[in-house]
Amino acid sequence: MSSANPTTADQDALLRAGIDRSLRHPVMFFLTSGAAWLAVSIVLGIIASAKVHSPGFLSGCGCFTYGRVFPAHINAFIYGWGFQATFAVIIWLMARLSRKECTAAGLILTAGHVWNFGVLAGLLGILSGNGTGMPWLEFPAFTWPVLLVSYFAILIWSFIQFRVRPEGHVYISQWYLLAAMIWFPWIFITVNTLLHCIPGHPLMAAGINAWYKSALMFLYFTPVALGTAYYLAPKVTGRPVYSYTLAKLGFWSLAIIAPWAGMQKLAGAPIPYFLPYLGAAATVMLFVPAIAAAINLLRTMMASPEILSASPSLRFTSAGIGGLILLGIAAVFLNLPDSTLPMTQFSMSGYGFEILTLYGFFSFVMFGAVYFIVPRVTRREWLSRRLIKMHFLLSIYGIISVAMFALLGGLEQGIGQEDWRQPWEAAATRAYPYALGTTLAWCVILFSNVFFFFHLTLMWLRLGRRSSHPTLLAVTHSHASPHGEEGDIDNAGPGHAPAH
Amino acid sequence: MSLRTFILGLSASFGIAWLTIIVVPFLKMRDLAPVQLSEATDGATGIFFPKRTGRVADGARVYAENGCYLCHTQLIRPTYAGNDLYREDWAGLKADADRGDTRRETTAYDFFGEKFAQIGISRMGPDLSNLARRVETIYAVGKDPSQWLFAHLYNPRNEPKRWKSTCPSFRFMFDEQAIKGNRSADALPFGGDENTELVPNSDAKALVSYLMSMKKDQAVPVSLNFSPLKKAK
Repeated sequence: MSSANPTTADQDALLRAGIDRSLRHPVMFFLTSGAAWLAVSIVLGIIASAKVHSPGFLSGCGCFTYGRVFPAHINAFIYGWGFQATFAVIIWLMARLSRKECTAAGLILTAGHVWNFGVLAGLLGILSGNGTGMPWLEFPAFTWPVLLVSYFAILIWSFIQFRVRPEGHVYISQWYLLAAMIWFPWIFITVNTLLHCIPGHPLMAAGINAWYKSALMFLYFTPVALGTAYYLAPKVTGRPVYSYTLAKLGFWSLAIIAPWAGMQKLAGAPIPYFLPYLGAAATVMLFVPAIAAAINLLRTMMASPEILSASPSLRFTSAGIGGLILLGIAAVFLNLPDSTLPMTQFSMSGYGFEILTLYGFFSFVMFGAVYFIVPRVTRREWLSRRLIKMHFLLSIYGIISVAMFALLGGLEQGIGQEDWRQPWEAAATRAYPYALGTTLAWCVILFSNVFFFFHLTLMWLRLGRRSSHPTLLAVTHSHASPHGEEGDIDNAGPGHAPAH
Repeated sequence: MSLRTFILGLSASFGIAWLTIIVVPFLKMRDLAPVQLSEATDGATGIFFPKRTGRVADGARVYAENGCYLCHTQLIRPTYAGNDLYREDWAGLKADADRGDTRRETTAYDFFGEKFAQIGISRMGPDLSNLARRVETIYAVGKDPSQWLFAHLYNPRNEPKRWKSTCPSFRFMFDEQAIKGNRSADALPFGGDENTELVPNSDAKALVSYLMSMKKDQAVPVSLNFSPLKKAK
């Protein structure tokens, strides 16, 4: 973006500032309301997790029974936090990369309110006992057209911006974001039509539902997170992406493999046999796009180790990429039809895998984006490096614990389930200590996000530092101020970190 | 690459899988034809199209709304996919008084009357495919099986040997009401005082009716029977 010609550089800076200003309210709306749903989801997650080992906890009232709190937890996470984080990131990144100001902020904000209303109605529906009983689609059936229409009203503008952009390079981020924007409505319309509108065989409905979970993770949340990471890594370090070929390989292998994954959850069910085993094979093969993207991004970031260690955005993003590597490995080891699949098919490890995807990979990259985007749209810098560090450390500790307890506990539980000579209770007893550990780990995640919510609220209230010099994690003694020397007015360009 | 080529590429990579594993199987499975029985192999003529009795649709709704599928499955996998068939009382009964070994894997006909097969996502609790068989012959010997299920739903840790169960209590599906004349036939054997009793509400009744239809171990035609021939006793 930097140019030798100072007038072009100034124009660039003005354009970026204009884009940021045009998107300030929608982006901050999605991030703050997303964070609020994240808080709701984590609290519900703690309640649900506690009930797995202490069934007497809050058991008097129907709305707090495990079978309603758990779906509320996971749906609040996905539709409340996950989707709204993607909205904020997509509208901002697509505007920046297409170099177009947003002209529909009012409509996006309205549609955002409708989306939140849909999520609220869906959650109340679940808690009041009107859920559909289809995992990840538990919201009562009337909510899906509401969500779909507001989805289009929010993201159609980004697509238009891409179409009318000045001619130029199409960035890797844009491949991923466009793909996610196109795949999601296709998936969502297919699944809801087949499950709610057209009567079919009940087992095939369950199969489609299993496919939906996988498709949402790998054809929506994964491409958005990867698109974001492919923006942040070169942008913050100021270096080009390590390998364009590897990026292509990662993108197209994801596009070709991921749509086949998901139905391995129906292994052994009386549906056509190729469906679950094709699903298992595809999930195992997801290792390829995961590792291709992870290596490419890590190599890009590690080209500037001092920026990697100082930038909050890169610290979260690189941790998310670490989560992606773990995810790729877990996808292989949990889904081998002859050994592990029978044990993991009906155990806690499924939940561990989902949380690893949604929090350990996706949310970490989103946090990285939040730490990058918010200072730009609010024109204020983050207040405290300590709050960011606490958020990071406790989140890492929490997510590693949740994922490990659920993945390993699930395997342990699966061994018990498959040992048919032992009474059934033995399997439950094996899972018990891991369930206890999961609850504690969720508490840590809640604690970590208290720092995030507090910090984000202050930024939302525009109480951030009125400096244009970014808040970095490294303490450099060469500067008089703990936040570094005061920088230039434009805080959007690549060279934020002190150019050593 | 132009945007058009790019979108075509995305649509092709996604669309082929979408057609192959979603749309075509959905349409193929839509109308499951009854199986024609053959006199020579099945010892009967006519068709195999098992029906279930009880409030299946209502009960399935209560089952879904209260998230039973989070901890219970309804799927007996063939032996290549898991060891469910070997358990003595999951896939049927190992030694039914009249019928001998009734264990079999789940068939596509077992979800009659339901919109969505609750095969489940996790097994914190046991599989329920043949719950009613277990209740009748093992858990509630000499008692009314529905009564046993009501008491179990009210408090899954009611029986001393089940103290470790982590199943939630569904006491919110029971109402306390004044006794007028005789006690209600459905009333729980515990709870209430001299003048009041605990009775299941309509949700609990629908759920128990649905659970009592969980007897997925009837004989299947040879074309659906993948178990090795059982030795005559």
